[in-house]
Amino acid sequence: MNEYTRGNFKAGFKTLLSTKLRSFWTMLGIIIGVASVITVIGIGSGIKQQVSHQIQHLGRDVIVIRPGELHGSTGLDALSGLNVSGALSSKDVNVVKNVDGVSSVAPISISVAKITRDKIPYNNNLLIGTNGDLPGLLNQSIAYGSFFTYEDEGSKAAVLGDKVAKRIFDEELPLGRTFYYNGQEFIVRGILNEMNTTPLTEQADFNDAIFIQDQVAQELSKNTAPIYQILARPEDPKQYKAVAEKIQNSLYKSHGYQNNFKVITGGKDYDSNGTVLSLLTQMIAGVASISLLVGGVGIMNVMYVSVAERLHEIGIRRAIGATNKQIVSQFVTEASIISLVGGVLGVILAFFINILLRIFSDLKPVMSIELIVLAIFISIIIGIIFGSFPAIKAARKNPIDALRS
Amino acid sequence: MALIELQDVSKLYGFGDATTLALDEVNLTIEKGEFVAVMGPSGCGKSTLMNIIGLLDRPSHGKYRLQAKSVETLRPNQSAKLRRDTIGFIFQSYNLVPRLNVLDNVALPLMYKGVNVTNRIKQASAMLERVGIQEREYFMPNQLSGGQLQCAAIARALINNPKLIVADEPTGNLDSESSRLVMELLADIHKNGNTVIFVTHNPELTRYATRVVYMHDGSIIHDEKTVIGRVASTAKKVAEKSLTSDEEHLLAGVSTMMKTFPTKDSESKTKSRKKPLKGKKKS
Repeated sequence: MNEYTRGNFKAGFKTLLSTKLRSFWTMLGIIIGVASVITVIGIGSGIKQQVSHQIQHLGRDVIVIRPGELHGSTGLDALSGLNVSGALSSKDVNVVKNVDGVSSVAPISISVAKITRDKIPYNNNLLIGTNGDLPGLLNQSIAYGSFFTYEDEGSKAAVLGDKVAKRIFDEELPLGRTFYYNGQEFIVRGILNEMNTTPLTEQADFNDAIFIQDQVAQELSKNTAPIYQILARPEDPKQYKAVAEKIQNSLYKSHGYQNNFKVITGGKDYDSNGTVLSLLTQMIAGVASISLLVGGVGIMNVMYVSVAERLHEIGIRRAIGATNKQIVSQFVTEASIISLVGGVLGVILAFFINILLRIFSDLKPVMSIELIVLAIFISIIIGIIFGSFPAIKAARKNPIDALRS
Repeated sequence: MALIELQDVSKLYGFGDATTLALDEVNLTIEKGEFVAVMGPSGCGKSTLMNIIGLLDRPSHGKYRLQAKSVETLRPNQSAKLRRDTIGFIFQSYNLVPRLNVLDNVALPLMYKGVNVTNRIKQASAMLERVGIQEREYFMPNQLSGGQLQCAAIARALINNPKLIVADEPTGNLDSESSRLVMELLADIHKNGNTVIFVTHNPELTRYATRVVYMHDGSIIHDEKTVIGRVASTAKKVAEKSLTSDEEHLLAGVSTMMKTFPTKDSESKTKSRKKPLKGKKKS
C-alpha cells in the first residue's frame, strides 16, 4: 500500500465515522447480502457434510450387493409385497463369504411384520433379518446388551432399534423382555444406539426396526422375506475394487451366469445426492447474491450524494493539484471501506445466525474461512465497482466549477 | 523569458443570447520576480483572469504561455500537476478542507505529490511556523479566525515551493491587522524571488506591489510600475477621489470606483457591452 492510498484510507474511515448513521444504512444492503450468502452456502455445505458423515458411517469400503431388479421399490409396503423379486438368497451370502479377501458379510432382509407383546398386537414393524457382522459393517454401536453373533445361529434373539424399544415396550430398557412373532417367542438381547443416519434405504428407518437372525427370518416368513441387500467388507480396503470384482464373478457363476444382481461400490448413490444439493445451494446463493448487488447499488447512490455534497471539497483538492486518478481513488477507497465494513459486519451477523440455527434447528451450517474471505473480498469488489461511477463523475468536474458550488 | 504570457485571452460564459464576456482579449506579460497587484471594480474579470493564470480555468480564446510553454493543450492531469508543483493559489474564502485539521490541510499538496507521512507532516509544520500559526496546527478550520485561516491557506499554497503565487483577494475577508499580516507574508515570499500576483480593492495595499494593473469590463486599461512602499499613483487618485466624493457615491462605492478609474477609449465599448447584459436580465 503506498503513501497515497494509506492517506485515503484514513480519510475514508474519518468520513465513515463522521456520517455514522448514513454509512450504516448504506452498509445494511451489503450486511444483509453477505450474511444471507454465507448462511445459505453454510447451510448447504452443512447438509452436505452431514450426508457425507452418513456415507462414512456406512463405510466407504463397504461393498453393497443388490438384486438386479427390485420392482416397485417405493415405500415400505412395496418392500413387503409380492412384487419384489428377490434374486438374492442366503446361499449368496455364503458365496460372498467364501470369496477371497472378504472379511465380513451381512445380509439384510426386510419384511413387515405384526408382533404381539403381552397379547397387545403391534402392526407394521420393520423386521430385518441379518447376522452378527452387521454392527461392524455399519459402524453401529450398541447401547445396551449385545448383538447376536454367529454362535447364536437359530436362536430367537432380537436386537431393537432405538425407537422400537420406546414404542413397543413400556420401559426404557426392555432387555430380557419377550415378544411374539409368527407364534415364536423372541427375547430382547440388545438395544442399538440411535443411528443418526438411515444408511441403506430412504424409506426404511433402522431406528424403528427389529433385528433378528436372517435364518430365523427366512424360516418364519417361509422364504418370502427378500434379501434387500448384502453388505460385504474386504480385509484390505485397498483391495476394495478387486474384491468387488471377485464377488461379481463368484455370484455370476453361482447364479448360473445370470446377471440379475448388482455389485455397488463406493456409495455412488450419495454422490448424486451431493450433486443435487450443491446445485440447489448454488441456486439459492445466486438469489442471495442479488441482495449483495442491491447493496452495491445502495452504495452507488450514497456515493453520488456524497460527491454532490462535497463538490466544493473536490474543487479545493483539484485546485491544489490532485489529479483525476487521485480524486477517483479517494472516492473508490471510501466506497470500498463502506463495503468492507459492511462485509465484516455481514460475516458477524452470519455467525450469529449460524449459532441460532444450530440451537433452534437441526441444521448445522458450516462457515469456512474460504467462504468468509470470499464474501468479504466480493463485497470489497462491489464497493470498488459501484464506487467508481460516482468517483469518475467527481473527478471529471472542471476544478473551477467544482469550487464555485 | 517571461513567466506568464497572455496573448489575446478571452473568456466567455454562457451560450447564445446569454453570453457574457468576462475577459476581452487581454494581453499581459509578467516577468519572473514581479509582485503584481490587480485592481478594478467587482465583475471586471479579475477573478477570471486569476483563475486562468492559476490554471483553474481555460481561456475561450487566446494563448497562455506559462514558463514559455503553451498550456491550452495540456491534459487535465498535466495541468493538475502543474498546479501542484509550480502554482500556489490563495482564495478569498480560504478554501481549506473543512474535515481536515490545519496540518493535514497544509500537507495535502504534498500528499498528492506522494511525499511520505513523516516528511509531509514535518514540512507542513515548518511551513505553519513560518506563517506564524504553528501552535494551531491541530485545530480544525472552523476553530480559527479568518486571518489564521488565510495564513494556513498561504502555508498550503507555499508548501510545494511554487514559482508563482496567485492570490484572489487574499485580504478581502480580513480586518486591517490580519490584512497586514497576510500582505507581509506575501511580500516575504516575493523577497525570496517568487512571483506573486494578487487581486485587491484596497489601494493602500499597492504599497507592497512592484506593478499595478487596472482592469475594467474585462480589459486591462492601465498598467504601471511602482516602487515598493509607495501607493501607486493611479490607486492614490482613486483613493483620494473616493474620499472626497459626495454621500451618494460613498454609499455606492463601486460606482465611485468606476467613475474615478482612468478611461482609455473604453467609454463606447462599455456601453455597447452592457446592452446584451440588460437584454438577458429582461428575458
